[in-house]
Amino acid sequence: MKDLNEDLFLQSLDGNISDEQKNKLNEAMTDLALRKNADQFLKLRSNLLRKEVDSFGPFFAERIINQIKSLKKEIDYQIFFFFKKYQVAAIGVVVALMVLNIFLSDNLTFKSVLGFEDEQVDNIVSIDLYQNLTE
Amino acid sequence: MAEQSDDELVENSRNGDLAAFKTLVIRHEGKVAGVVRSMLGSTPEADDVGQEVFIRFYEALGKFRGESAVSTYLTRIAINLSLNEIKRRKRRFSIFTKEEEGWHKGTSDNSSDLNEMIAHEFSQLDPDFRAVATLRLIEGYSTEETATILGIPLGTVLSRLARAQKKLRTGLEKYLN
Repeated sequence: MKDLNEDLFLQSLDGNISDEQKNKLNEAMTDLALRKNADQFLKLRSNLLRKEVDSFGPFFAERIINQIKSLKKEIDYQIFFFFKKYQVAAIGVVVALMVLNIFLSDNLTFKSVLGFEDEQVDNIVSIDLYQNLTE
Repeated sequence: MAEQSDDELVENSRNGDLAAFKTLVIRHEGKVAGVVRSMLGSTPEADDVGQEVFIRFYEALGKFRGESAVSTYLTRIAINLSLNEIKRRKRRFSIFTKEEEGWHKGTSDNSSDLNEMIAHEFSQLDPDFRAVATLRLIEGYSTEETATILGIPLGTVLSRLARAQKKLRTGLEKYLN
């Protein structure tokens, strides 16, 4: 019962208790012990309630912004190095393919290194563009 | 020029405007400092946690939907990070020495200064009770707001608050009479 009244008292500090609850609380407050506890609590609360704006000291905001900037740089570096690993791997694969092409081709030309086959003129199939039209 | 609202500053910060974010930091530093110092005392860790709060907020800007006020959101981060810090201290078995450092600044056992005695008793509270007392008694949030910030039921806030104030009253009996 006592705890219920204490809860009611704490709720009353929010100012949102019903008239019925108010009457009940007023009645309970005739108990001297509860009255004393309530007075002590109010005194405690008024001492605890923040009266001044706190601070982390000068240049706090600047420190935060500098941290964010260095954080951004760090992320940029991470992205750069993440892709750098793949760039190196990709270059390695390309070089390996070029070397393979050199070994597989009969003659060492720029095209053969890149993997293009040297087409002989005889091998090129001529397309008669007018063939379909005349048929 | 009219002062920009928190929502506008958040939107600008999302678009990479660091000056807008700096304005948010300046605007809410006091609130965050109050919450963190109430939880951890005036220790160097409190300053570190304060910085971490804003860095976390910056990183979470994309997720921040504005369902709660910026100050409420920051308070929630501040409480959670403070509780984490207290757990870390406990793991390091040095909670008492750290708390003494922060809370006993300029305080002697014979001090008659009620505020300093209250601060000392406050530091002796269980962290969960301290979180409730910080929000409800120091920062002046309502019971409902306190419940929302901490993500606990209203009844739990009331019971923790009742137990916290009982403990505080017991420790401060002679000063409160």
